Amino acid sequence: MSGKPAECTEIQDDLLAAALGEATPGARRRVERHLAICPSCRWEFREFRAVDGAVTALREERLPRQRLARARERLEARLTDLRRRLLVYRVFPSPLGPILIARSEAGISLVEYLDPGTSLRASRLGHIPGAELVEGGGELEAAYRELLEYLRGRRRRLEWPLDLRLVRSDFQRAVLQATAAIPYGAVIPYAGLAREVGQAAAVRAVAQALRWNPLPIVIPCHRVIGTSGALTGYAGGKVNLKRRLLSVEGVPTASRAGELGIRPQAMYALYPGEREYCLPTCPSFATQPPAPLTRFASREVAEAAGLAPCTTCRPDLHPISR
Amino acid sequence: MEVMSREAFEAVVSAHHGEIFRYLQRVIGRAGDAEDLSQETFLRAYRAYGSLPGEANVRAWLFSIATNLARNYFRSETRRRRAYGQVRASVREAVASAPEGECLSRQTGAVVEEILQRLPPKQRLAFTQRKIHGLEYAAIGRSLGCSAESARAHVFQALRKIRQALDGHGLLGGPDR
Repeated sequence: MSGKPAECTEIQDDLLAAALGEATPGARRRVERHLAICPSCRWEFREFRAVDGAVTALREERLPRQRLARARERLEARLTDLRRRLLVYRVFPSPLGPILIARSEAGISLVEYLDPGTSLRASRLGHIPGAELVEGGGELEAAYRELLEYLRGRRRRLEWPLDLRLVRSDFQRAVLQATAAIPYGAVIPYAGLAREVGQAAAVRAVAQALRWNPLPIVIPCHRVIGTSGALTGYAGGKVNLKRRLLSVEGVPTASRAGELGIRPQAMYALYPGEREYCLPTCPSFATQPPAPLTRFASREVAEAAGLAPCTTCRPDLHPISR
Repeated sequence: MEVMSREAFEAVVSAHHGEIFRYLQRVIGRAGDAEDLSQETFLRAYRAYGSLPGEANVRAWLFSIATNLARNYFRSETRRRRAYGQVRASVREAVASAPEGECLSRQTGAVVEEILQRLPPKQRLAFTQRKIHGLEYAAIGRSLGCSAESARAHVFQALRKIRQALDGHGLLGGPDR
């Protein structure tokens, strides 16, 4: 640039902008005025314009269609594979402690309670063969918001699309499906659930299937309890969380002899196969063989499940007072 | 926050794959590597797509992913040196073999393309995004991790260098008489 008059140096940027066709009207006028009196810049400007023209012509160049199509095909194959394997997850704080939510393109596939300090590697998410994990944000926000509403008792259902890819067997699938149908505010014994899936003797297997429920809370395995009313287990030693989840739904619980359980005397009851709900003291129970009873936190809950009050014990006339 | 639906990603691929491939091909220069990088661009985009705000400019976002990948590619020292050596030779050939008087713009186009490849990465990326793909300086700046002003300076600098490189080869016609 040495030896160039000052006005030529000063106009350089405007000149370049004008050559690229992106100068402001003011800059363009300055350039025009300068070019009218400066042949050397005029020549430079013409060269810049020529370069710009040559480059602009490159815009029209396209890659050979066949090559592009082949590249697209290869990309689609890899995308299909990624779509299958991708799990987007995030760990959220909650009243129940840190909760990990993971989803695939199809839906929420894992809800996991994390012990504080648990690394991803140690979590269940870290053990899914072939999964590609991506920590995500936005797309899990809505699910998290609904979860918080649920845990605060402001929402009774989580309407999430679910992806059951982590379900291990048809049996587990059947158990989880039956569990998903347990109404809000109701509890059923493991034995009752075993009956529901047509395998009355498989109580232990049902308990195992629930132990590995990949979608706790949304598939409400916390509503499945022992025949005695004891809460028994939850998510591997987190029986306290089970109690809290049941409390949110209005299910009365108590600690007896160091063991947590529901208070059956404070709940309405349903004999398997019946369409009428009863007081826990209904005389009809004495005349039937013992069976696992479903219990409801309130008449409202029972009636929302399509049940009518028993015409013998009349829970509608003698509601349980707590 | 409203986010992009992943199901819509198919449409994103359809709309932008050709252009991103073309961009990478031009800045990288090697067909196979450009294809790999454009594949990687869309795989990365898919991973992050669900977190992308609904109002985001998807095209500019894809360009910035591609630009990042291209920069990492250039950083690989041996590759860079190898590519540089080859391109230098081919520019010399392209310039030397240009027959006088032949359709100037076409000839110039081929030479300009070679010179583009010789530019420092940031100038090459900024100039290609601006002049071939018409992106805004703000978006180009974001893709390069600099301001819109710096992005513009890169483009201007690229234009100066291309002109310099062509100077003396008579490819722009005679002086203004």
